[in-house]
Amino acid sequence: MFWFYAERILGYWPVLLKGLGMTLGLSLLSLLIGAAIGFAFGIIRAGGNRWLSRALGLYIDLFRGTPFLVQVFIVFFILPAAGIELSAFAAGVVALSNLAACFIGEIVAAGLKAVPQGQREAALASGMTPAQQMRLVLMPQAVRIVTPSLVGQFVLLIKDSSVVSAIGLLDLTRSGWMIVQSVPQGLMVFGTVGLGYFIICYPLILLSRRLERRGQDALL
Amino acid sequence: MGKEARMIEFSGVNKWFGPLHVLNDISLTVGKGEVVVVCGPSGSGKSTLIRCVNGLEPFQQGRLVVDGTDLSNRRALRALRMEVGFVFQSFNLYPHKTALENVTLAPIHVRGLNRTEAEARGRALLEKVGLGDKMGNYPHQLSGGQQQRVAIARSLCMQPKVMLFDEPTSALDPEMINEVLDVMVGLAREGMTMMVVTHEMGFARKVADRVIFMDRGAIVETAPPETFFTAPLHARTRDFLGKILHH
Repeated sequence: MFWFYAERILGYWPVLLKGLGMTLGLSLLSLLIGAAIGFAFGIIRAGGNRWLSRALGLYIDLFRGTPFLVQVFIVFFILPAAGIELSAFAAGVVALSNLAACFIGEIVAAGLKAVPQGQREAALASGMTPAQQMRLVLMPQAVRIVTPSLVGQFVLLIKDSSVVSAIGLLDLTRSGWMIVQSVPQGLMVFGTVGLGYFIICYPLILLSRRLERRGQDALL
Repeated sequence: MGKEARMIEFSGVNKWFGPLHVLNDISLTVGKGEVVVVCGPSGSGKSTLIRCVNGLEPFQQGRLVVDGTDLSNRRALRALRMEVGFVFQSFNLYPHKTALENVTLAPIHVRGLNRTEAEARGRALLEKVGLGDKMGNYPHQLSGGQQQRVAIARSLCMQPKVMLFDEPTSALDPEMINEVLDVMVGLAREGMTMMVVTHEMGFARKVADRVIFMDRGAIVETAPPETFFTAPLHARTRDFLGKILHH
């Protein structure tokens, strides 16, 4: 019985593979865009302009404090009402990048604040511009501090990407929904889907743990 | 003192931290090539005083001119900082850079030196402070004394006109103090203009042109070392010297 259904599920490998590809593509693209914006967010959040930092903090909390599914629906169903028409993929990328930027922004800001004040002073005293202080002295150290958390965040992002199946994107989760219509074995189908996510995420979890251990050594 | 011989000139400088008067009407001129040692009890404002010289610390009143630049001109500040080296109590080396990279970072990016030139200069300076064999080491692989010598080389690599030292040996184990002081003595003898906040009175005796005693934000006494140590004018100076010299 088990092998019978297992064979049938695996017979849908093109769908599963397509879903996996979509999940990976969506996550990776959102990760890149989210990281680029997130680092900028982090610099502003840790920076000297208090009002700008607070305004951005409110924006970030807004997205950290609402369900991602709601955010996806807003981007996909409500923005078109305002005249911004997005494909399901574009809507997914927009929502996921935005969420990633918010989380990465707070992580990067925490990293920048963890760099000792003396580092900024040493850079300042040597005549560096604020941009040079950031690029040459502060950011490289902040990145070292937060890399394990960032990698951990990537894992969450990949898992959160499953939510976009709700707007019809054929990602790994949706490929499960499709297969389960012809193979009525929910446990096995979604077990396979879960395994797909785990195969992507597990190496990242291990990497994060290793970086954390190495980071502790480097701080000694 | 002729105008061109003045390197640092405080006139009536006042600074408050809230209600605390941390610099009380400071007037002081340091000439080119002069070595001035600043001492005083903790909280007397001596660190604040030298931190003003390269604009790390703003002040509310008075005038401060360094190498012809008025510090109230915030736009000229960055150019001035290239000419003023600063050595911190806690070294503040960049932990993600090797000794040589620490030394060459600002010369390359701030002075615009090419890498070869900066590295040649950096190597020579690290040799000079006795760390020729540590160029590729990261700060955490170096002792406190070695880190502080790298920090001095880092400042010198910008070829500054003035060197400021903020308690450069207070964070060091006793056996490492001399290796740092030796470098500073060498620098003083080469004619570098220096302001040094320190309680190392042996160093003051050896190379200082003047010793300044500060208390509660004000300069209480200024004298050449021989007078300062043998015949201090003020009771507070005598009291302070009694505390730091008699054990």
